[in-house]
Amino acid sequence: MAGTGNGEAMDEQARQGDPGADEDVVALLVRQHGRIHTLFDEVRAAEGAERHEPFRRLMHLLAVHETAEEEVVHPHARSAFDGGSDVVRERLAEEKAAKEKLAALEELDVRDPTFMPTLLSLRDAVLAHARAEERYEFALLRRTTSPTRLALMAAAVRAAEATAPTRPHPGVESATANLTLAPPLTAVVDRARDAVRSALRDAEGP
Amino acid sequence: MTFDPLEQRGIPLDRQVRGWRELNVTPIDPDASDPYTRCRVITMNGIEVEAILFSHQLARNTVDPEVKRGLAEVRYVEAQQQKAVNWLLPGVSSVLETTIAYEQVAVDLTSWIARMEPDPYLRQAYEFGVLEDFDHLYRYANLYEMIEHRKAEAIVDGLTEVMPGRPTRMHHRHPFDNVRDPYDKAATDPLSKLHALTVLSAEQQTMNFYMNTGPTYMEPIARQLYQEIGLVEEEHVTHYESLVDPGETWWEQLVNHEYNECYLYYSFMEQESHPKVKALWELHLNMELEHLRIACDLMRRHDGREPEEVLAPQLPNVLTFEPNKEYLRELLATQIDLTTLGAGYVREAHERFEQMQQRLHDGERPPSDRVIDQHREMFDRDYRQETEGPHPVASERA
Repeated sequence: MAGTGNGEAMDEQARQGDPGADEDVVALLVRQHGRIHTLFDEVRAAEGAERHEPFRRLMHLLAVHETAEEEVVHPHARSAFDGGSDVVRERLAEEKAAKEKLAALEELDVRDPTFMPTLLSLRDAVLAHARAEERYEFALLRRTTSPTRLALMAAAVRAAEATAPTRPHPGVESATANLTLAPPLTAVVDRARDAVRSALRDAEGP
Repeated sequence: MTFDPLEQRGIPLDRQVRGWRELNVTPIDPDASDPYTRCRVITMNGIEVEAILFSHQLARNTVDPEVKRGLAEVRYVEAQQQKAVNWLLPGVSSVLETTIAYEQVAVDLTSWIARMEPDPYLRQAYEFGVLEDFDHLYRYANLYEMIEHRKAEAIVDGLTEVMPGRPTRMHHRHPFDNVRDPYDKAATDPLSKLHALTVLSAEQQTMNFYMNTGPTYMEPIARQLYQEIGLVEEEHVTHYESLVDPGETWWEQLVNHEYNECYLYYSFMEQESHPKVKALWELHLNMELEHLRIACDLMRRHDGREPEEVLAPQLPNVLTFEPNKEYLRELLATQIDLTTLGAGYVREAHERFEQMQQRLHDGERPPSDRVIDQHREMFDRDYRQETEGPHPVASERA
């Protein structure tokens, strides 16, 4: 699919840039950014108590996604390219700001009149952060990291993703009940972190 | 319609330059804004870019330094207008999201103009072109879901359908066959001049956008798709610019440009739902009225003619962004298999067309087909949003 490529360099670039490749951590994370954006749309489009369910999925995906980035991507990016530690410091500052908005949002009832403006403010922060990662961190990561390493990182991100309930619990009809049954976000983060670390350990071998 | 731009007083030119604070416009919301607000922004950006480029060409053909300085002064304001307009687009949008919005503009702007165009030959040119932009929207929408896992309906919001048009692979014609016959400046309806200028400006901006942003993508399929569609935009600019009578003098063309800007800012001010954007359209209209007055003076001085001779007696019906779904379905059902031969249209793939196709495709599937192949591999389907039922052409159904 690389067209009139010349030699192996071109083939390697083609593999890395395949948007469907599960073994490319950048493609995977960009797709997660898309899913997060879509979940924001779903919460925004819902009314009153209907917001619970998409909101819960959004919180979980955000928690898992950020955990995976913090555990897998940022530590590697720090040393992968010149200026990496500065780039990562700025991304972490954005994440921190977004987490503060997220914490404020968690305190609110979804029917609260301030819920939607707070949600939109969080969305703005998350989208700007995601775009900054794509432009200033991921682009360099892809340029400086071997396909093998990118694949290893992708496996760790997928392991974290697998811990997130992305669909409503089957058999539970009420959104409120769903929310109460759902684990607290700190537990989601812990589980995602454990999954990532275990995947990385397995990959590196004994 | 009572608004006559020739009768209105605008803002004096020496009060039109804005400082940084005024230029620092607040971007529109990427999700919660009316998609047609974004379409109006993209359209006016293309119009201002054309105004700037046209003025530069005119200046390069102007000897009198005083006239050159006058052109430079208006052009600087137009450059500020372009900044104020285009900077309404939000930085969080990806290039591909903006691209999909560009194609929505091309589809609904060209459709509306085709519907309103009084001259049948010109209308055919718009009807022919719009089915190609419609297909580009479908190709980019599939790329968007592959790369960002987002559906284009989040951008076009159900106002514009997304499905195959005339297949992009068939857009690659011999350059000779992209040159149409021009309207006759003395006989044509003045509205036709505005239509041609508007569509050619929009397509030119699209061409410039793709030729510059395409290589910012890392994904090979994205890079290649932008290359392919970018080349079709070159054909479209050739197609639309050849509709304009080359016998119009430079000063006449300048008057047409300024009048068209008044027409479009007025139209968009009338429909705009976003209060801040509406205020910007109104401000720019009041600037353009003065630019028009200056252009009219130049035409009188250099051509010895009255601008009223070439302009419409009154402003035409406002140009409107609205859904054109049924109209497009009718065009799909009747014109999907057209191509061009010389300045006209045919259904048969003629020799010159076949040669060009052979030379370009050379037995390979073009990127516009491969993007759909790869999408099907990932999702077991293509992406489309057919809100009004199955595709009107049976062979194009999913």
